[in-house]
Amino acid sequence: MESDSISNVSSPSASNCKDISRKKRRSAKLKQCKLDARREQWLSQSAVKNKVCCKEGTKDSDSKQTPPGERDRSSENFEMRRTAEANGEGENVSVQHECDFESSPLNSHTSSSLLGGMDSGTSFTNSSSSSSSSSGGCCSGNISEEEGDDGCLDDWEAVADALAADDDKQETDPNESNKENPCLGSIPGHEPNPQLGSNGEGSDLRGSKPECPRMVQKAIGSTRAWRADDNFRPHTLPNLSKQLSFPATDWRFGQGGVSWMRSSAISVPSSCPICYEDLDLTDSSFLPCSCGFRLCLFCHKRILEEDARCPGCRKPYERDPVEAEASVQGGSLTFRMLTRSCSMIARS
Amino acid sequence: MLGGGGKSSSSSTTAAAAGGTWVSTTSVSASGRRIQREMSELNADPPPHCSAAPKGDNLFHWVATVIGPPGTPYQGGIFFLDITFPSDYPFQPPKVVFKTRIYHCNVDAAGNLSLDILKDSWSPALTITKVLTAIRAIFTNPDPYTPLISGVARLYLADKAKHDEIAAEWTLRFAK
Repeated sequence: MESDSISNVSSPSASNCKDISRKKRRSAKLKQCKLDARREQWLSQSAVKNKVCCKEGTKDSDSKQTPPGERDRSSENFEMRRTAEANGEGENVSVQHECDFESSPLNSHTSSSLLGGMDSGTSFTNSSSSSSSSSGGCCSGNISEEEGDDGCLDDWEAVADALAADDDKQETDPNESNKENPCLGSIPGHEPNPQLGSNGEGSDLRGSKPECPRMVQKAIGSTRAWRADDNFRPHTLPNLSKQLSFPATDWRFGQGGVSWMRSSAISVPSSCPICYEDLDLTDSSFLPCSCGFRLCLFCHKRILEEDARCPGCRKPYERDPVEAEASVQGGSLTFRMLTRSCSMIARS
Repeated sequence: MLGGGGKSSSSSTTAAAAGGTWVSTTSVSASGRRIQREMSELNADPPPHCSAAPKGDNLFHWVATVIGPPGTPYQGGIFFLDITFPSDYPFQPPKVVFKTRIYHCNVDAAGNLSLDILKDSWSPALTITKVLTAIRAIFTNPDPYTPLISGVARLYLADKAKHDEIAAEWTLRFAK
């Protein structure tokens, strides 16, 4: 059903994108202004979201003409992610993102080369339109109506729309079907890929793809709402746009502390046996005593100040070495576990 | 890369802010929350022949009852205990005092209790449920080697029958 609609939708939107990309080159500066305006708009909407888009803004200023390339990359990217998730290779996603971080300096230059490729190769635009297959028609129309600018941002919306629409279908059985349906959703995303592979710039594109989502993921990860998030990723993406889903935004990102606690309660069910607070990721990766008795860092510190014995086995804690090691471990572990746990949730 | 630096710094500030609010919410009444949880756990799964609940509005002041276990001279007696939680509970042990007089080598005339887990062996991992279980255990098996009342302990070691007789008499007198 979806793949049918893609072929219909893709051709007009592809031509649209072509036009847009030309316009963009002409009015890069105008675009900057509009980006700024839009950014401010977002600023007022939500603190977390604005973080994402500010980074986008800095990105754009780094590489002036990025947006068209970036749009493609971003849309591609989501497909990539979804396919990865569908295959149950959630770990791969995080790995991709990490290695992408290193390769990111290349992005500005690759994307500019992509721009050239954009005009000639419609296969690119194909991929973007296919990603926004279900509701892509209205979105691309949207872009052209809105002076054809805002490339990056509107593309976010297009992808978001697509994903949201995709998700709406799954909503009947969100937990179970989430795993399987991305498979369906990813099939149209896969089809254009071989074409890209044959294309010279296509491979470049693939290499530089995960740029945008990486930023999103990082920003979301920084709010710590990310873990619960990966599963509901399509839900969060509309939050970046001007969709109706702002209540959901507020629920997840709005009150930082509360939502964070809630999400940690979801992913780490066990609680500290001393204070009965839920163990967060740092706490649950913290093993102060060889007997295996776990407790939260607050209680551990408290006990160290007093009798410094393990509550479980009542042996004295080995003070400095264990604690120092543990804290370093905890620090380094935190981020890794954040990304990993999100993929685990996506699977379960 | 520029963007990367900005990202990491902003994320760290967010984390600090979130952590800050989190700390403040926990430190308000960590012990109160813990006591509350213990109360609900105790109500859900009370140890045999024991009960405990806050005296009034004050979560930190409980009354507990322990029924003398069958097969001991304390059988059938209802022993009331006062439990006072320190403000830094569970890092400090609760204070448990017998309000009912009992003839026992580990309980003195004022009702004070010599129980290792309520003193040096206290662990924050222990709960009031475990304390009550331990108290019930010393009804069955008094510890005459670390007595509070050495006379009773001596009698217990020398003439258990006599000791039990007196204990049963006290139980009948004070605990029924």
